[in-house]
Amino acid sequence: MKRHLVGYAFISPWLIGFAVFTAVPFVISIYLSFTRYNVVTEPVWVGAVNYRTLLAHDPLFWKAMGITLKYAAIAVPLGIFTGVALALLLNLEIRGIAIYRTIFYLPSIVPVVATSVVFLWILNPQIGLVNGILRSVDIIGPNWLGSEDWAFTSLVLMGLWGVGGSMIIYLAGLKDIPYTLYEAAMIDGANAWHRMRHITLPMLTPVIFFNLVMGVISAFQYFTQAYVIMDATSGPNDSTLFYALHLFNRAWRYLDMGYASAMAWILFVLVMTVTLTIFRSHRRWVHYGN
Amino acid sequence: MAIDQTSARAGRTLLVLGILAFVGLVISFALPKPAERLYPERIPVRFWHMWTAEWKAVVDDIADRFNKSQDKYEVIALSIPPSGGETKFVLAVAGGDPPDVMAQWNPVIPSWVDSGLLQPLDEMMPPAQWRQLHSDMYPIARKIGMYKDHLYGVTVGLDLWACYYRPDDLRAAGVPDDRLPPTLEELFALGARLDRFDDHKNLTHLGFLPEGYLHTTPLFGNGFYDWESGKLTIYTPDNLRALQTLADAYQRLGFDNVSRFQAGIDQSSFSAGWPFISGHYSICVDGQWRVEQLAQYAPNLQYKTAPLPAPTGGRPLASFAGGNFMIIPKGARCPAGAWEFVKFWSGIENPERAAELYTKGGWLPLMPAITNAPAYQAYLKKYPQFKTFVDMLPSENIQTTPPVPYTIYLTDRVSVCGDLAMRGLQTCEEALRGLEKEIAQEQARRKEFGYAD
Amino acid sequence: MPTEALATAPVEPLHAPERRPARLRPSVGGTPTLSRTQKLITHAVLLLLCVPFVLPLVWMLCTSLKPETDIYSEKQPANAVQYLISMLPAHARWQNYPEALQTVPFATYLQNTLFLCICNVLFAVLSSAVVAYGFARINFKGREAWFMLMISTMALPDQVTMIPVFGFFRKLGLYGTFMPLILPALFGNAFFIFLLRQFFRTIPDELTEAARIDGATEWGIFWQIMLPLAKPALATCALFQFLSTWNDFFGPLLYINDPNRYTLAYGLQQFMSSYGGKWALLMAGACIFTIPIIILFFFAQKTFIQGISTTGSKA
Repeated sequence: MKRHLVGYAFISPWLIGFAVFTAVPFVISIYLSFTRYNVVTEPVWVGAVNYRTLLAHDPLFWKAMGITLKYAAIAVPLGIFTGVALALLLNLEIRGIAIYRTIFYLPSIVPVVATSVVFLWILNPQIGLVNGILRSVDIIGPNWLGSEDWAFTSLVLMGLWGVGGSMIIYLAGLKDIPYTLYEAAMIDGANAWHRMRHITLPMLTPVIFFNLVMGVISAFQYFTQAYVIMDATSGPNDSTLFYALHLFNRAWRYLDMGYASAMAWILFVLVMTVTLTIFRSHRRWVHYGN
Repeated sequence: MAIDQTSARAGRTLLVLGILAFVGLVISFALPKPAERLYPERIPVRFWHMWTAEWKAVVDDIADRFNKSQDKYEVIALSIPPSGGETKFVLAVAGGDPPDVMAQWNPVIPSWVDSGLLQPLDEMMPPAQWRQLHSDMYPIARKIGMYKDHLYGVTVGLDLWACYYRPDDLRAAGVPDDRLPPTLEELFALGARLDRFDDHKNLTHLGFLPEGYLHTTPLFGNGFYDWESGKLTIYTPDNLRALQTLADAYQRLGFDNVSRFQAGIDQSSFSAGWPFISGHYSICVDGQWRVEQLAQYAPNLQYKTAPLPAPTGGRPLASFAGGNFMIIPKGARCPAGAWEFVKFWSGIENPERAAELYTKGGWLPLMPAITNAPAYQAYLKKYPQFKTFVDMLPSENIQTTPPVPYTIYLTDRVSVCGDLAMRGLQTCEEALRGLEKEIAQEQARRKEFGYAD
Repeated sequence: MPTEALATAPVEPLHAPERRPARLRPSVGGTPTLSRTQKLITHAVLLLLCVPFVLPLVWMLCTSLKPETDIYSEKQPANAVQYLISMLPAHARWQNYPEALQTVPFATYLQNTLFLCICNVLFAVLSSAVVAYGFARINFKGREAWFMLMISTMALPDQVTMIPVFGFFRKLGLYGTFMPLILPALFGNAFFIFLLRQFFRTIPDELTEAARIDGATEWGIFWQIMLPLAKPALATCALFQFLSTWNDFFGPLLYINDPNRYTLAYGLQQFMSSYGGKWALLMAGACIFTIPIIILFFFAQKTFIQGISTTGSKA
């Protein structure tokens, strides 16, 4: 009995925090999503109006949803692919590999706001670094952040620049693969491609899985980069109106907390569905064991 | 043993973190800090504004003058960057720690009043004074500051837009008398003659381009609101024509070309960083406050100002007006002090004294009494180009944002609509229809919510 | 739920057994050694790939030392090499830094940021350690269920709780103070609790049993035996918390009101917003914001790398 009490005493900080900052707000936000509410005055119950309008009459909602899904579908796999590829390269035994690792890793610790400011500068279409280099070889670079077609791509590229963090995780995963597996394979005459296909990648799947889950969860909440780089706007023709940005605007620019709460709830359901789907699938492709 | 190694390393990490934090703190304490309060014994009045750089200096000076003019309050001016400035204010009022007074220039009054964020200012003065002020104010100041029969914003500087141009450039293009052509169409034609390109057809010098969509509509008609019936007018032939004119101007040069050109020149809106000063524009549309900047940063530059010529069948002396207006949020801790400051700056009680403040920032006055004050007249004599704007003030063709409760949403969407057409992503017809639909949906949503309008 | 896989994931102690000597370690696809040509090709590929990763940082530093007039100059370099050389500042203009520091009060921002970092690191690491100990070493009823619940909160989007939590702080009159940015740290961080729990579980029972027989309380065991042992894991958490507080933009955006309480991340964004186009000053600001983190990285490289690696292999 006492043991139970002591146990709960130890986890009580988290329990209190969970109640105050998660559980209660979670329930309140369900309620708020059925009201009109502007924080200053009391919420007024309006029924399912928010959800109905969102789903049927708000083209911007669908646009924002589309942009966010597109980001999750492009940036996350691209990040995984690049991360794994770099990790494979950096796992080679050559001189100075530590320096290479540092160089690839460093951008990922640059604070997000600084990264955004720097990218805004290097992607300046006229006097920025990227188009400057392109111009010197007679290519006219795109109008990156200033054009509807490229603004989104610019953000994906900016995300890739910080791939070093997940690269290190893959690298650690590679180091954990027992060498005996390769020895056995080589005795069986497997070539490099086969070893990669049948040993390296399967052994790496738990780490890829982890990065996939984390990547998708954070992609759905993508906000700061878009907010900073577009200076609180939604980009050319709303092309960087991410879901979280739209939600933020609805809440704190148009003062529509009920609407924003409904949006948050749809986001929650979406994140849960996608995460669960990934978890469902994990037995099929994630390889545990030694 | 591995454990010892990792443990030692961890210890070092913690040590480095500690040292870094300590050194950082020492540095941060050693570096100069913003000045402490000058009058700690007085009641503080926290004043937010969105001016930066040299404008900030002007505003600080005005706050300073107010502080010296009396001994009860101390106005503490804080600069909040314009982008996201609205959000910051909303958060502050919603969070229960608003400033006492804020200077805004975005059309926020209707939205914020309906959300219960602002105090009616007419209730802060005796009825007789309010009646007097109401009849004294320039009509446009009333349109900007009033909503649902109450005053929520006192303009401490109206802004009007008109043409700035370089007579030398005009002469080079064969315009003998330094005057702008009589119609907008001819002005565009003249602008096209003044554009310059490099070998790769990249724009290097801009002849003429108007301001955004909202600023162009008054030249063609009533804009987005019919003040008599109190209804939004979005899809109208006039608005369509305005959008078409703007879209044509951008399509002729190529939107991308213009946007690249602008990204490559110093676009910062302060000090000498104005493309008109650096010689990248021949004719441009900008606000009257540039006169003051030109005097400071390019005193020898030959330039002239004139109202935008009307398009054929359009309206003369038309412009979009904005205002720098003072608002007092609900929940302000010292509304009385805030109101004293508003009165001081706007000149409601002492127009003669306030006239000088208006000239500091190159702002247009709230009412004729200020215009006629000696200080203001002296300013007009000193800067004859400024007079263009003052003379436009009584014009009936000056529009401002419609006073509907969703103005912020409306103006956001208007600018997206203009953007779509200027980029050529949609035809003007489509873009304007799209805007109309978006606004209708917003209205329908509000109706379902049970709002009156 | 994310719980399942995280919990069933292979668990390995942070102080992993010594790895095999470098020479014997496998390389890509298990190729033990590379030929000379292969090595050269690898170097070439890596060098080429380095360029996009390193150039933005170099460019940031270079711009921060240029006079404003050089930035808007319209020289047309003939080729890429010439262009890259032209991006180096002709004379380093160090004044950009004092100017940036004067234009906005970076010193104030730095002080606020550090204050928040120190509070957050102390509170989050300590509270997480306490909770993690409870989850790892005390067998109480409902432990697994609570743990699963805690893990699943990591997938909950902040947007869902943002508005009610804002309302909560507003009711307490804490809006505009540092409290909303500090208080949550007192209640532990799910991710740290997870990491520390894994660590505590690897510590052999014998170490604690002896103390228990001597009559030590649970708290005493935690405080005197476990905490000192957990230093590596604590350092990892401290580092992560430091970085996340240093970087935090959304918190100050939502809760900080008074410019005298801005943090560096928020201050830099505001600076950019107010002084767009002043690239040299902006980059100086970005450098001031970034360099401490880079210094931190070079001093605590191993903890960085190890912390991040364990993040993955724990999962």
